[in-house]
Amino acid sequence: MDRIRTLLSRCAALFGRHKLDDDLDEELHSHIDFAVEENIKRGMTGEQARTAALREFGGVAQVRESYRTQRGLPFLEVLAQDMRYASRQLRNSPGFTLTAILTLALGIGANTAIFTLIHGILLRSLPVADPSRLYRVGDKDDCCYYNTFQNDDGDFDLYAYDFYLQLKQSTPEFEQLTAVQAGGGGFSVRYGTAAARPMRSEYIAGNYFATLGVSAYRGRLLNDSDDMPAASSALVLSYQSWQTDFAGDPAVVGSTVYVQMHPFTVAGVAPPGFFGDRVIANPPDFWMPLAAEPLIEGANSSLNQVDEDWLYLLGRVRPGVSPGTLQARLSLALQQWLRTRPAYTDHGGAALIARQHVVLAPAGGGIQRLQQQTRAGLRLLLILSAAVLLIACANIASLLVARYTARRSDVAVRIALGAARSRLIRQILTESVLLSLIGGAAGLAVAYAGSHMMLALAFPHAKNMPVEASPSLEVLGFACLVSLLTGVVFGSAPAWLSSQAQPADALRGVNRSTGDRSSVPQRGLVILQLALSVVLLAGAFLMTKSLANLEHQDFGLATANRYVLQFDPKGVGYTLDRLPALYHEIEDRFSALPGVANVSLARYIPLGGNQWGSCVIPQGRPAPGPKDDCFAVWDRASTRFLDSIGVPILRGRNFTPEDTAASQPVVIVNQAFARHFFPNQDPVGKHFGVGLPQYSRTFEIAGVFADFKMTDPRRDVRPLFFRPLAQQFTGYKELDADGSEKASMYVNFVILNFIQAPPDADTLARKTLATIDPNLSVVRFSSYDSEVAGNFNQDRLIARLASLFGALALGLAAVGLYGVMSYLVARRTAEIGIRMSLGATRHSVVMMVLGGAFWQIAIGLVLGVPIALLAGHSMASLLYGVSGYDPFALVAAISVLGLCAATAGLIPARRAASIDPVQALRTE
Amino acid sequence: MGESKSDVLQGTLDLMVLKTLESMGPLHGYGIARRIEQVSNNGLSLNQGTIYPALLRLEQRGWVKAEWGTSETGRRAKFYSLSRIGRKQIEEETENWERIAATMARFLTPSD
Repeated sequence: MDRIRTLLSRCAALFGRHKLDDDLDEELHSHIDFAVEENIKRGMTGEQARTAALREFGGVAQVRESYRTQRGLPFLEVLAQDMRYASRQLRNSPGFTLTAILTLALGIGANTAIFTLIHGILLRSLPVADPSRLYRVGDKDDCCYYNTFQNDDGDFDLYAYDFYLQLKQSTPEFEQLTAVQAGGGGFSVRYGTAAARPMRSEYIAGNYFATLGVSAYRGRLLNDSDDMPAASSALVLSYQSWQTDFAGDPAVVGSTVYVQMHPFTVAGVAPPGFFGDRVIANPPDFWMPLAAEPLIEGANSSLNQVDEDWLYLLGRVRPGVSPGTLQARLSLALQQWLRTRPAYTDHGGAALIARQHVVLAPAGGGIQRLQQQTRAGLRLLLILSAAVLLIACANIASLLVARYTARRSDVAVRIALGAARSRLIRQILTESVLLSLIGGAAGLAVAYAGSHMMLALAFPHAKNMPVEASPSLEVLGFACLVSLLTGVVFGSAPAWLSSQAQPADALRGVNRSTGDRSSVPQRGLVILQLALSVVLLAGAFLMTKSLANLEHQDFGLATANRYVLQFDPKGVGYTLDRLPALYHEIEDRFSALPGVANVSLARYIPLGGNQWGSCVIPQGRPAPGPKDDCFAVWDRASTRFLDSIGVPILRGRNFTPEDTAASQPVVIVNQAFARHFFPNQDPVGKHFGVGLPQYSRTFEIAGVFADFKMTDPRRDVRPLFFRPLAQQFTGYKELDADGSEKASMYVNFVILNFIQAPPDADTLARKTLATIDPNLSVVRFSSYDSEVAGNFNQDRLIARLASLFGALALGLAAVGLYGVMSYLVARRTAEIGIRMSLGATRHSVVMMVLGGAFWQIAIGLVLGVPIALLAGHSMASLLYGVSGYDPFALVAAISVLGLCAATAGLIPARRAASIDPVQALRTE
Repeated sequence: MGESKSDVLQGTLDLMVLKTLESMGPLHGYGIARRIEQVSNNGLSLNQGTIYPALLRLEQRGWVKAEWGTSETGRRAKFYSLSRIGRKQIEEETENWERIAATMARFLTPSD
């Protein structure tokens, strides 16, 4: 109690210290006066009385000092004193201060910006109740529909609805086990009289929100009774979508909206901040129950196909359950289920079942797909930015050392007068920490702008992405910590030097020197900067070369002067019988536009990010076993499709208008298809089918076109075939096969190939589509080039940032070297003067100074190259068409750095050579 | 030469100040110092100045209160007085001190 009162009183005394000091002085004065008065009464003279009073009192100064120490908090007061001293020092040299703050702002800002993304993407927890008990059954990022074994090592992560129901029944270890669609899709949603708008959605099991422990913001969330086949359709809006797409209108809740023309009741709105079960650039705008999937998807529904794996499973584990045991039980359940499914046991599949298993992965941060895709890149960027910060530290440290050396006689005098070394060190650290804190504060602005730009570059089509550029509390804490650490790191060099200062130096004129050892720390710091710069530059060259390889590879298709228009005829109610007329009209109207060379329609566009594939069975071959690679991507496209993307037919023929619903179903295949399925044969005229052997004579190959990249631009071209718009195969006996055949009749893209792209292509295209049917809205319109470039957003971001960091490093290192060299030349002015007056030539002076720089550069490079090789090795997974040990990158890094460093050294060397010996000898 | 003076034991000064204030009522620093000297018959080697850190310590604990006022001779001075807590504390401190003194006495008096 007494302690607390004392502490409070001490804290209170921190304020109004001047008044308290005056108070004390007055009190002590009155004490002496009382004593003098009394002494005079006793008969002393005035002078005697005063002397006696002071003697009886003891040392006034000591009393005052110990009183003040006891009154306030001396630690804080000294700190405040050091702060004031430090800020005076910084104000006195605005040039240095500004440079240092700017450097630190860039260094700390870059780190904070990247940490903002790491925190927002990798480290975040779902905003749900008790996320630590959430587990996902599966740990891979497979998507979106599978109906075969998923990974070579037997790892399963996508599941069929049937298996989900079984697991839900048989695993009491889960308090709740829910399912969510792996992929999610775009839908046309209409509310009231407004035009249909494109929105994203996921199908979820009825217990989805209950499992996550989320409650409604408005209305109610979906529950098990919504997820029944007979239930009337209901959906839940995300808060963000309710705000942006429905203007926060409360009347929306309880009213009807139309999804792909089907009526749904809006049951409620999810809470603000809830973005679903995973961090993605385009979180769902609304959620629909799994039971609504057959309604929307029709015969193509996945829900009712027992073998279709299309769901991610997410469960809340009961407290006390061991994840390891549960995982083993789940794997066993999976194997049991697979054994009951002919799709998995047939054709030799049964032998593989024992190997199939699941991994139970913590899902407190949601389903880790984006995380798996971005982790390596973000980690690399964090390492690069940390290296930049380290260089910045070294740079400022060497500036501080130079400043300190200039003040060395001052420091020596202070030590000689009795200043404690610890106090001097504390002062220097205070100054550097103050500097880094100011730099960190400025860095927050850099970080905000930086993470904003990075998000925009990496996720250009994001809508309501749950990752924000504005700094959170954790990000602020990170920036503060990094700033403090930075300050201590770069302050420790001058602090160490001051602890070595000898008071005798003050008397010895320390400001004049020859090539002495006092510059060792500075040289070391420059070498560190040079070495790290090699690493950063080599990394930048590697990433840039890799990006160039990606972007400028031969995709095999022409994209210049081409535009892509995405639309959704199914969403606005087009039925199969109305499609041919619609397609004709689109082709005709768009072809009639001025300057249009080709117009084509396709279900998926090359390099557009989406694909559809089937298992190909050539006529006369047995059904493929589970290990046979029968997969081929296929697409439906109009007659002029190949022309519109500039791809030639190599054998046979292209589609013609004569390929109609009534004629023989034909396909055109790529070279990879021909090689894979018909090696050393002429594929033209051959037949094949998809799915089951009985359909293997369905399609006749009419022609072979040149390979181009259809899906992943990093991978080799895979087998691909196209089918014409008009030919629907009506022979499928299975409902699902027939359903997906029907779904394939809907195309989603128009490719416009202009001779010369008009400036108003966008409005022109929108107007034209509206004249065909005002209900048809444009989901997206963009140039084909930007569509392709979208494949490399992350690579581009990493390459640009790596280059930026490399340039920063180069600049800092060059400035650092220049600073140290000019400083040394300035300090050796007298020595150089003597050398020259004794006959040294200007040339030999230049060589002498350059020689010093050369050694630093050489040591820096020798140290940097092995680290660069190591770094290259560790980033190999991010590189395309370039090895981590690429000699070009290394040589380029070394040359650029060597050139810059030599220039930085040459300027002070020339200055040294221009020294006038007479002048030099006079300098003090 | 002269009589020998004792140093003031750590912590005893506080109790002396408290007892002085108890018997004399509100008093300024000089008055307290003089009173302690008188009571101890000038037997303590006390720098008068050391009274002030002690007073501050007591004030911080809330045992004494300080107020500016005017002395009988018309001089402005800071007057210290016991607070309610301080009054209670005297008992405790006195007991404490007596216990120590009794213990010391047992060491010093030769036992039979």
